Amino acid sequence: MRQVLRIVGAQLRMSVLAALQYRLGFWTEGVLGILWSVLGVVPLLVAASHRGFVEGWNAWELVVLTGCFTCVLGLFGALLQPALVASMNHIRLGTLDYLLLRPADALVLCLVSNFAPWRLVEILGGLVLIVVGMVKLGQVPTIGALVSALIVGLAGVAALYAFGVLILCASFRAIRLQNLTFFMEALLDFGRWPIQVFRGPLRAFFTFVVPLAVMITYPAEALIGRLAPGTVALSVATSAALLLVARLLWARCLAGYTSASS
Amino acid sequence: MTRLLAVLGAMWRLGLAEAFAYRAAMLVWVLTTTFPLVSLTLWHSLAADGPIGGYSQAEFDAYFVAAFLVRQLTASWIVWDLSSSIRDGSLSTLLMRPVHPLLHHGMLNLTALPVRLLLAVPLGILVMLAVGGVEASFGWHLLAAPLAVALAWLLQLSVQICVASLAFWVTSSAALFDVWLGLYMVLSGYAMPTSLFPWFAGVVRCLPFHAAMGFPTELVCGRLTAHEVAWGFALQGVWLVVFAALASWLWRRGLRVYGAVGA
Repeated sequence: MRQVLRIVGAQLRMSVLAALQYRLGFWTEGVLGILWSVLGVVPLLVAASHRGFVEGWNAWELVVLTGCFTCVLGLFGALLQPALVASMNHIRLGTLDYLLLRPADALVLCLVSNFAPWRLVEILGGLVLIVVGMVKLGQVPTIGALVSALIVGLAGVAALYAFGVLILCASFRAIRLQNLTFFMEALLDFGRWPIQVFRGPLRAFFTFVVPLAVMITYPAEALIGRLAPGTVALSVATSAALLLVARLLWARCLAGYTSASS
Repeated sequence: MTRLLAVLGAMWRLGLAEAFAYRAAMLVWVLTTTFPLVSLTLWHSLAADGPIGGYSQAEFDAYFVAAFLVRQLTASWIVWDLSSSIRDGSLSTLLMRPVHPLLHHGMLNLTALPVRLLLAVPLGILVMLAVGGVEASFGWHLLAAPLAVALAWLLQLSVQICVASLAFWVTSSAALFDVWLGLYMVLSGYAMPTSLFPWFAGVVRCLPFHAAMGFPTELVCGRLTAHEVAWGFALQGVWLVVFAALASWLWRRGLRVYGAVGA
């Protein structure tokens, strides 16, 4: 475990040093990212202005939700997406061999192979949105609400990583699908809306398979103080199951990896 | 003239073969532009209690499926190809050829459209079946739709060439295109019909974003009067002239300062 943390720390440091060389990235990646996510709240606010509520969420609650969405998108863009793109390139070019030879867990090495620190700015933007929304709602979250928001949030991030590993596994099979991470980002867009918008199979899909609900809607609900404790437990269980599936599938795919030259 | 046609034909076949060869990757690209379908879920559920801003539930469904298809038909990625080829110097090879580089890139973008449509139409039909049918009207407006879509494609292409040409001066011009994309997403009718905006809807509907997306979509859905259609075409024409002129100016100025790798 200590070794894993050391590897993550070292890779993070290197990425930050690289990113500091390209300071324009603060504007093109960080600030634009915020703009992009905040613009996403516009359709919701327009909907709320026509109807007053969107499936039980009022305008400022929707701002809190968009804050949570922005945080998740920032995490994805800063930590997961660059690592996935780099790993997929390794798989395609056959340079994954060099990674496999290193004396550490191959999956960890893949998931830390690259970071885009500037996009962490988006998380700050998301936090600002959450705070503004909460202040306008006139609510101060209780300690319990904060803890459960943190727990479901972490469970959501774990689920995001599990989904990322699945995408990585797919790229062993179809190496031309380098753009799968963009598809993943497009799928995350469904998280802009509260989960209550979806009905039937689509809601089950976004709760258990690609748990956008766990990543985005539940943390927002927890902050506002209307998330049931049972849902927290269910979210943790869902994420744990997804992580297990991802890990097993990764082991299978890695066993089938034949490198570029052999 | 016959030589140009022969060249165009050859490029068409080349592009088509390439698009078919990478059809799986193309399918994923189609899936990344499904934001109208994301929006569909929101407005479909909201309109369950009655129409919003003149759109009933079935009309929302029709609008967003049409928006999805229009998005496919107006797609181009010339900004990424062109700006990277300017940056890494591979533009030099293209400049050596007896065909204009923009024509080369434009044709490659154009040939992807049939393949994109082949992949997108089944998805659109699937969505229509899933939401339980849409309200569509058939009439003269469907005859005008191809022209509107073609103009929208040309408009997108001109804007992308404008931004890509900035790569002659700055290194991260493709990142600047994200500004356009961000505004396009909200203001074009891609995420929601622009008529739903409050008091500033009139302004939004005059912007190039709406001309490139919302106008053809609303035309396909048959939501516009003859007067509005004429006004929409006029706006498309004006914006196309503006951006095409800007693109050609930027391109020619840019080529003069082009110092390629090894040039």
